[in-house]
Amino acid sequence: MPTYIKLTQDGLTTVEDPFTFVADDDQYIPPGDVILSLARFQTDGERLLSEGRAVGVRVTADETVESLAYDLPRLSVVALEFPKFRDGRQYSNGRLLRERYGYEGEVRAVGDVLREQAQFMLRCGIDAFEPADGSTPEAWAHAAGRFRHVYQRAADERVPAFVLRAERQ
Amino acid sequence: MYRYDTIDKEFVADRANEFREQVGRRLAGEITEEQFKPIRLMNGLYLQLHAYMLRISIPYGTLNAAKLRKLAWIAKTYDRGYGHFTTRTNLQLHWIKLKDAPDILEHLAEVEMHAMQTSGNCIRNITADPYAGATSDELDDPRVWSEAIRQWATLHPEFSFLPRKFKIAVSASAKDRTATRIYDIGLAMRRGRNGELGFEVMVGGGLGRTPYLSHTIREFLPTRRLLSYLEAILRVYNRHGRRDNPWKARIKILVNQLGAEEFARQVEEEWAKSDHELVDLPDIELARIRGHFAKSFETLPARSEAFEAAKAADPEFARWTRHNLHPHKAPGYAIVDVSLKTPGLTPGDASSEQMELVADLAERYSLDEARVNYQQNLILPHVKLEDVPAVWRELKAAGLATPNIDLVTDIIACPGLDYCTLANARAIPIAQQIAERFADDEKAEEIGELKIKISGCINACGHHHVGHIGILGVDKKGEEFYQVTLGGSGAEDAALGTILGPALPYEKVAEAVEQLVEVYLRERKDGERFLDTFRRTGVAPFKEAVYADVH
Amino acid sequence: MKGLTANRLIDGEVVFWNAGEWVERFADIEMFEDAAAAEAAEAHAKAQPTVVVDPYLMDLVEIDGVWIPVAYRDRLRALGPTNHLQHGKQAEGGKVVETLQHAHTAARSTGRINLIKRK
Repeated sequence: MPTYIKLTQDGLTTVEDPFTFVADDDQYIPPGDVILSLARFQTDGERLLSEGRAVGVRVTADETVESLAYDLPRLSVVALEFPKFRDGRQYSNGRLLRERYGYEGEVRAVGDVLREQAQFMLRCGIDAFEPADGSTPEAWAHAAGRFRHVYQRAADERVPAFVLRAERQ
Repeated sequence: MYRYDTIDKEFVADRANEFREQVGRRLAGEITEEQFKPIRLMNGLYLQLHAYMLRISIPYGTLNAAKLRKLAWIAKTYDRGYGHFTTRTNLQLHWIKLKDAPDILEHLAEVEMHAMQTSGNCIRNITADPYAGATSDELDDPRVWSEAIRQWATLHPEFSFLPRKFKIAVSASAKDRTATRIYDIGLAMRRGRNGELGFEVMVGGGLGRTPYLSHTIREFLPTRRLLSYLEAILRVYNRHGRRDNPWKARIKILVNQLGAEEFARQVEEEWAKSDHELVDLPDIELARIRGHFAKSFETLPARSEAFEAAKAADPEFARWTRHNLHPHKAPGYAIVDVSLKTPGLTPGDASSEQMELVADLAERYSLDEARVNYQQNLILPHVKLEDVPAVWRELKAAGLATPNIDLVTDIIACPGLDYCTLANARAIPIAQQIAERFADDEKAEEIGELKIKISGCINACGHHHVGHIGILGVDKKGEEFYQVTLGGSGAEDAALGTILGPALPYEKVAEAVEQLVEVYLRERKDGERFLDTFRRTGVAPFKEAVYADVH
Repeated sequence: MKGLTANRLIDGEVVFWNAGEWVERFADIEMFEDAAAAEAAEAHAKAQPTVVVDPYLMDLVEIDGVWIPVAYRDRLRALGPTNHLQHGKQAEGGKVVETLQHAHTAARSTGRINLIKRK
């Protein structure tokens, strides 16, 4: 079974991936838990969910999470696809999922995912990663924990500098 | 000025460590150049024609003696003893080695400086009025808000991979000394009906291939809502700005495609959905930041006899005070502009020795403050009038007392093809040739305010679109040609220039500028600046003069 | 005629290819009459990502008996900035440097496509 990195109670660890990604042109949907494109989810999602499967949706950078809003409580995974390292649209999608829609399932970064993005991704509510650079969970954790401080609130629990300062005064 | 606390110090230290590690991975071949490039750019490190170039951030153009001395030392130790101050009030060092860059970042951190976000598709260094805290015409100190923005924007998790770079300028005076209208976001402080302070929010300005002046999307934003509103703008841009074509990726394109009204509607809608209190700084933090900028001035008479006597005794000094001195809010003080535009030399360049001298003067005479403005000059913001003659003598001895602020020789020029891989043509030698033709101080004074701005390519780092005379280097079959525009302005009467005519060859540019100035001197009416005359006469007489010999 | 150039990774220095070595003086560049040989050298260079950045072939032209780059940009890389003649490779002087400095007009912009995307 393929693996990926996930933020769990024990920190960032390698976990097995129970989901199969179903491409849009795949005629056959394998048994078990699946991740679908947004379009595929709109046609087949209802049926698969009613079969008792866990279903995730893979959102491209061109798509917005608003279109998933009503379905979020039923989704096990939202996979945010980074077409390029430098394409930052999914950071907004991540924050919206967590902060605006209160989504509590897994938000997974897929695509051109490098450890340089680790902190940004975690801060934007992404808690699962399929690194394209072969990063280990240790390397990922190292990169994510590189900065002892942050200057702004985001979708994570980190306390920004201005709050720490106010508390100290 | 703002001083780092432990948090800020640890932050830049962490950043320097991170970069050291990343450089190590690159040198070891663990990451490719393609992967490394965005990383080094986020730390201000470019690979240019002759070497790496490090762009060091000078937040809202504010320096003190320790910082200037460190910059001078870095230039001497790791570069070739000089640096180039840019139109974004940063300092560029042109001869940097990759292997030294992590050490340099550590040295910068020692004086609370960094090179973060001086490149890359992120929120860049904030620009503020260079006379902040010194000029009498400001509603508030724009550095307070600039520093708040700086911290909020630093490694912002959502906005570090925007469609394109993003620049913010803050002004708090009716007089616009920061060219706010050509910024992605320009913030101009206004007073509301009940006396409270707020910002006029202007979005979508920018030069480059498609120049635009910004649109006001909100007439009045209460100051304390600044960051949450910026976050809403950036979110709309991050999600909907074009990413398919880097030439169409700036926010100005989005704003103009949607229309300013629709863009404003989307921002307001996004802003309405967000919890402002989570983003905006609490009063206690704003007060802390503000405290750093408080300055107390001595009680002095408004007139200094020593200063007046020096002016009367020395016409050269008197001339310099006419152009390089500006009124200060405190009686008996002046703001001193230090010109980095000696005719014949490189606009914006300063040697390590010159930086050290300005550091000394800042420490002795200007309450330990110096500034950089977008015209690529330095400023000593708080000099007692009685000290001005001494300051002038020392500046003069170091070649820093050219009396030409806003005059024809106060030319903005980007590094151009002499250094930059993006350039199509050289900018520096053109500036040198023009300045040499007007090197006579009397002649320059007679001509009056005339802002010449030169860019070596369409990216417009030299702001040519908003020059009274703008000069753009273009490549015609491998040869350097220059397109001239007239009538632009980056000030409160902002305007984009009009193209004069076909591009001119390298050899013809300085002569053409001389011809333009002659037309102006012939046509001008009482008190008119070059820009006023141009606006009255239109392009025709100027065009005729420059292209006369072509017919 | 072509020559191969790049910037050295560790310090950014402009370097030129000569028989498998990277040299700093343009006067020491290897000239390729044969396109296949030039491309083979370029392929070698591209396989050295920890040594050089952005290797590319530049066109050369003969002026006053000296072969120099066609593109003005490449000439500046072989010289240094024109506002500081004491900096860069030009400081050393010599016939090739002088030819480069005085050959303004014959420039064409081929070759710079490789560089223009660089930042």
